[in-house]
Amino acid sequence: MEREGWRLSDKEWREWVEALLRAGKLVIAPVKENDLLLFRHVLMADEISVSDQGKAQWSPKEFLFPRSEPLLIYRLRGAEVDLEEPKADEREQVLVGLRPCDAAGLSRLDDIFLLEEQDPSYAQRKKHTTIVSLACDRAEPECFCTAVGGSPAGTQGSDLLLLPLDDGWILRVLTPKGKELVAGWAARWRPALAEDWDRTEERRSAVENSIQLSPLSAQWGTALEKSFGHPLWESLGQRCLGCGICAYVCPSCSCFDINDEGNSFCGTRCRSWDSCAFARFTLHASGHNPRPTQPSRYRQRVLHKFAYFPDQHEGRFMCVGCGRCLRLCPVGIDIHHTVERAASAASPEEERP
Amino acid sequence: MDQLVEAREAPERTTEKGWEPRIVAMVCNWCTYAGADMAGTARRVYAPSVRIVRFLCTGRIDPLFIVKAFEQGADGVVVSGCHPGDCHYVQGNLLARRRFTVFQALMDFLGLDRRRLHFAWISASEGVKWSRIVDEATAAVREAGPLRHWGRPVKGNSSAQPLLPDTDAGIAPRDPPSAEENQLITGHLQELVTNLLSDGTVSTVIGYTAGSLPQQMVPLFVNEPRDASTLGWNEHCANNLVIYLPQVLKKNRDAKIGLVTKSCDARALIPLIREGQLRREQIVLLGIPCRGMWNQGKMAAKCYSCSEEVSPFTDWTITPEGTKKGSLTSAERRQVSPDPRDREIASLGSFLPEERWDYWQRQFDRCLRCYACRAVCPLCYCATCISDKNRPQWIPTTIDGKGNMAWNVVRAMHLAGRCIGCDECARVCPAGIRLDLLNRGLVQEIERRFDFCSHVNPESSPPLTTFQPDDPDEFI
Ligand code: SF4
Ligand code: SF4
Ligand code: SF4
Ligand code: SF4
Repeated sequence: MEREGWRLSDKEWREWVEALLRAGKLVIAPVKENDLLLFRHVLMADEISVSDQGKAQWSPKEFLFPRSEPLLIYRLRGAEVDLEEPKADEREQVLVGLRPCDAAGLSRLDDIFLLEEQDPSYAQRKKHTTIVSLACDRAEPECFCTAVGGSPAGTQGSDLLLLPLDDGWILRVLTPKGKELVAGWAARWRPALAEDWDRTEERRSAVENSIQLSPLSAQWGTALEKSFGHPLWESLGQRCLGCGICAYVCPSCSCFDINDEGNSFCGTRCRSWDSCAFARFTLHASGHNPRPTQPSRYRQRVLHKFAYFPDQHEGRFMCVGCGRCLRLCPVGIDIHHTVERAASAASPEEERP
Repeated sequence: MDQLVEAREAPERTTEKGWEPRIVAMVCNWCTYAGADMAGTARRVYAPSVRIVRFLCTGRIDPLFIVKAFEQGADGVVVSGCHPGDCHYVQGNLLARRRFTVFQALMDFLGLDRRRLHFAWISASEGVKWSRIVDEATAAVREAGPLRHWGRPVKGNSSAQPLLPDTDAGIAPRDPPSAEENQLITGHLQELVTNLLSDGTVSTVIGYTAGSLPQQMVPLFVNEPRDASTLGWNEHCANNLVIYLPQVLKKNRDAKIGLVTKSCDARALIPLIREGQLRREQIVLLGIPCRGMWNQGKMAAKCYSCSEEVSPFTDWTITPEGTKKGSLTSAERRQVSPDPRDREIASLGSFLPEERWDYWQRQFDRCLRCYACRAVCPLCYCATCISDKNRPQWIPTTIDGKGNMAWNVVRAMHLAGRCIGCDECARVCPAGIRLDLLNRGLVQEIERRFDFCSHVNPESSPPLTTFQPDDPDEFI
C-alpha cells in the first residue's frame, strides 16, 4: 500500500481516540496497573500509556480469544434440554498500542480460527475489531521479531500504525478498515512529509540492528522434525516446570479446552485457554499420556511453532518473537536458543544453520 | 448438595426489594442436625432462609465447601457441629476448629464481610440455640445484603483503590556481593561439584548457570564432572531448586543429589521431610552464604529480614575463601531489617474490609490460571492437584473471577502451616498477584495462634493435622 499517513502530535491522536470513545466504541489499550503494563478497557484517552517503552505484560489476544467464553448455555427441563446461544457482542472495539509483534500474533490467530473453518465467535469479534499498532522505539533484551520475519515497525495484522518521531507521531493507514476509522479526521490533519517518513525508516533500521539474534529460516522446520527423537530434547526441556505462562502470555498460542460449568440442571459450556505444557493437556481417559514427560511436552511447543505450523502455513512461524515466554518463564527457557540447538543437532555438520 | 443446586436454579434476584438472604448451613449429623431437628419438632419459629447440608462430622467440612457455597450464590454460610469434647468421632471438631480458625483469618485478610460467615457449637439438645443462631445469622446477612462481589471487584475503577506503602522505602538494603566474590565462589563451587561427581558422592548436582537475558540465572542439572564448569553463582540465582528433587527421585528413588541452595531455599526441606517426601540423607546441600537476591536494582523483599547466611543444614559451605565441610557457624547473627511487607500487611489491615476485598478481587481478577505458583512451589508436590480434579470439579477451570477466587483461596489454605516463605510463587506470577502478602499473612497468623513455624523442626506435627483441647475459638 502507498505510504499514507499524517503527522500528529500526542495530543492530536489522543483527541481522535477520545472521539472514538465518545462514538461508543470500546477502546482497549495498555494501562499501568500495579507496575504492570496491561491491556485494559479505557474510559479516557489519557489513560493510555505509550511513553512507557516496552510491551504489555501479556498479549491482547484475550480481546479476540477470551481466556474463557461461553459456547452454549443449557438447562434441563425434565427430559428436555433447552440450549441457548450466548449473546454475541456487536460493539465495535479498537485495540490501540499493540506492538508490531502483538499484531502479527493476532494474524496467527486468524490463521487458526479463520483460515479453513471459521470459528464463529472469533470471526464475530474480529469483524468488529480495528487494530492500531505502535512501532517500537527500542528493543527489549528478549525481543527477536527480526529473527522470525517481523520488524519493530512491522505492519502485519495492523489496520493503522503509529510511528514515533522525536516530536510526535506518524499515523499510517494500512487497510481500508483503518482508513474508515480516521474518516473525517484526515482532512484536519497534516499529511506526513517525505522527510518524516525517512526519519521513521532510520529509526526502524536502528532498532532492527540492535536485535542481535540470528534469523531462523523456514527450512529449519525439516531439521527440527528430524530432531524429534534426539536425546538433546531431554536436556533442553529438563528444567521446564509445566506451568502455563509461556502459552498464556504468548500472542500466537491458541490452544483451548472445553469445560462445563454447572450442574445436572443447568450450566454453561465454556471454552477456556489451555497449554500444551500441562500434563493433563494430552492425558487420555484411560490414563495413558502420549506426551508422558515434561521434555516431550516442551518439544511439542517448539515443534508446533517452528515445524508443523509453518509446514501448513506457507512457512510462517507460529512465533512472532516477542520474547515474553523467555522473559516470564520461571526458569528462563529460551525458545530461540532451543530452535537453534535442536535444528543444528539434527542436521549433518555441513548443513547446520 | 441438592440445596445448592436448588439455590442456583432460583431465578436471579436483581432488585433489593423482595430479596431474601440465601444461607447455607453446614452442620454435623450428630449434634447440630439433631438440634435443628429438635427445633423443628418443638415447632420453634425461625428464619426460613437457611438450607441445611448435613455432614457426618465437622471434621469433614473442608473450607473448599464454604468457598463453593459462596461461589454458587450463597449470601452467607453457617458452620456448626458438636461442642468441643462432644464429637461423635472424638476429635473431628477439634481438627476442624483449627482449620476454621485459619480459614476465618484468611477471609478476614481478604476482607470478606464478617456478617457472612458464622461458626457455632450446637448440641443435640440445643434446639433453642439453633433457632437463635439462624435468626442472628439471617439478620446479619440481611444487613450485609446480597453478595454480589464474590469474584468481582466492588468498585468501578482501579484508581479508586487505596495504595499500599512503597515496599522498601526508607529501609536500606544490604550491599550486594562484589563481582570478585561471586567469581571466587563460582570457582570453588565448580571444583567441589567436580569432586563430588567424580568420587560418586552424588549422581546429579542441581545448580545455576547464566540464562539468555542480562542478569538472568537459570537452573542447571549437572551429571558429568566435566560439565561442572558451566555452574555459576551471583545475586540473581533466584530459583528455589528444591522443586526439582521429586522429579529426580522419581527416576531414581535412591539417587543422591547435590543441591546448590540459599538458606531460604533449604528451609523447604523441613516440611518435605516432615511430610515424608524425602530423606535427608539423599540430599547433599551445597550452601552459599547469601547476601540477598537482586532483581532490576532491587533486593528481594524476603532478604531484608533474613538472618541466616547459610542454612544450618548445609553439608558444604562455599565461601570466597574456600570450601568447608558443614555449616558456617558465625558467632553473631547478622544484622537484619524489618521485612518491608509487614508495613504493607499492616496497611491492608487498616483498610475497611470492603476496600480490602476490592483490593484482592482486583488482584485475583488478573490471574491467568497458569498455575506457575503451583509449579514453582516446593510444597506443591501433589500428584494430582485439587484444581485438576474434575469429579467433582471443586475449582472451576473457567478463567474468571469465581474460578480465580476459588483457586487462590484454596491454594492459600493448602499452604497454610506449610509455606516456608521462599516467595517463589510471588516472584514468578505473571499477573503480579501479591501471593507473598497472602502467604505471609497466614504464616504470621499460624505462628501467633499455634506457635508453629513450618521450617524449624521436621519432627513437629503440622498445625492443621493436630489440635490442643483448649485451642482458642473466640470467633465461634
Ligand atoms: S517453558 Fe517455562 S513458562 Fe513454559 S511451561 Fe515450561 S516452565 Fe512454564
Ligand atoms: S513463542 Fe514466545 S517469543 Fe514466540 S510469540 Fe510466543 S511468547 Fe512470543
Ligand atoms: S502464578 Fe499468578 S497468574 Fe498464574 S495461576 Fe498463580 S496466581 Fe494465577
Ligand atoms: S507458597 Fe510460595 S512462598 Fe510458600 S513455599 Fe510455596 S512457593 Fe514458597
